[in-house]
Amino acid sequence: MSNNDSIEANDEDTRIEIVFFKSDTCAFCPRAEEVLLETIGDFEENTFRLETINVSKNPEKGEEYGVFALPTIMIGGVSVTGIPEPGMIFKMILGAKARQRRGAK
Amino acid sequence: MSDDYSIERVKTGIPGLDELIEGGFPLGDTILIAGKAGTGKSILANQFLYRGAIEYSEPGVLVTLEESPEKIKRNMMRFGMDFGKLEEEGMLAIVDLSPSKEATPVSIGEYPSFDLSGLEAIILNHVKRMKAKRVVIDTLSIMAYKFKSRDILREEFFKLTANITRSGCTLLLTSEIPAQNDGLGVFDIEAFLASGVIVLYNEKISETTRSRSVEVLKLRGSKHSSRIHSMRITDEGIRVWPGEISPGV
Repeated sequence: MSNNDSIEANDEDTRIEIVFFKSDTCAFCPRAEEVLLETIGDFEENTFRLETINVSKNPEKGEEYGVFALPTIMIGGVSVTGIPEPGMIFKMILGAKARQRRGAK
Repeated sequence: MSDDYSIERVKTGIPGLDELIEGGFPLGDTILIAGKAGTGKSILANQFLYRGAIEYSEPGVLVTLEESPEKIKRNMMRFGMDFGKLEEEGMLAIVDLSPSKEATPVSIGEYPSFDLSGLEAIILNHVKRMKAKRVVIDTLSIMAYKFKSRDILREEFFKLTANITRSGCTLLLTSEIPAQNDGLGVFDIEAFLASGVIVLYNEKISETTRSRSVEVLKLRGSKHSSRIHSMRITDEGIRVWPGEISPGV
């Protein structure tokens, strides 16, 4: 193991990973992004690590994740496609937290 | 001699098939390859790409929604078609959107407010990069299992196929006809998506024998055979016998 690897392992990022997939032409994406941002806005700062992937500009990333229907929101390895209800995002966050806790034990 | 009204043809790469359709698929059209499980749809579509690259120097893009690239390469190697080599030579791109990908998230829900603009961006990125002339999407039917919103998918398929062919490519879509089904696929619109429809059969003709055959159901702008012709899967891929009428269907 290199020095860098050991530093990363000790300084593990415990934030929940959210990836939002959108495109330039997707009519539903702006509303889905609003719902996502409003919902995660109710949580404490630094709870999430949010990455937005614009598949029009970065098709390789969409291909890498196998995500081609947009908008898609991925939270901790599970995803929802379309404009979600806030309750669904909330459930996904709770699921990701529970998985994280199980993983930490 | 070509004129404004003549249709440029793309050789199919399937021995015997071009003779049934005035020399090949019309350039820039969408062709549906329909058939029940095990009829040879994927082999035909992959052979179209392979022969296109090898014999006609036309780069291709294979979008796989079902089988992994490893499995495809292994299957096609049985016919002496080395897809790995084609990739290395920049004549083929395999776009892996199969469910087996490790990074793909597990879908837990879907709302009827999405589009396939991501799929279009991914495919056109490869088409542009490769200067591709041939595109295969294998198989459309898997989308019916992946997504519930069929109305959205139907509308999106029309946009997707139009935008791929507008780029100058000839597009082959495969579609699995469910058992006990008389249509051409699970969406009921497959025939409208395409200007050409080829149907493959593998019918039981006796207790111990099955017979493979191919039918050109429609091909816009072409005089095509209206009969069902014998077809075989040989060691070199699919071959059609234009002069032989199938006994099976």
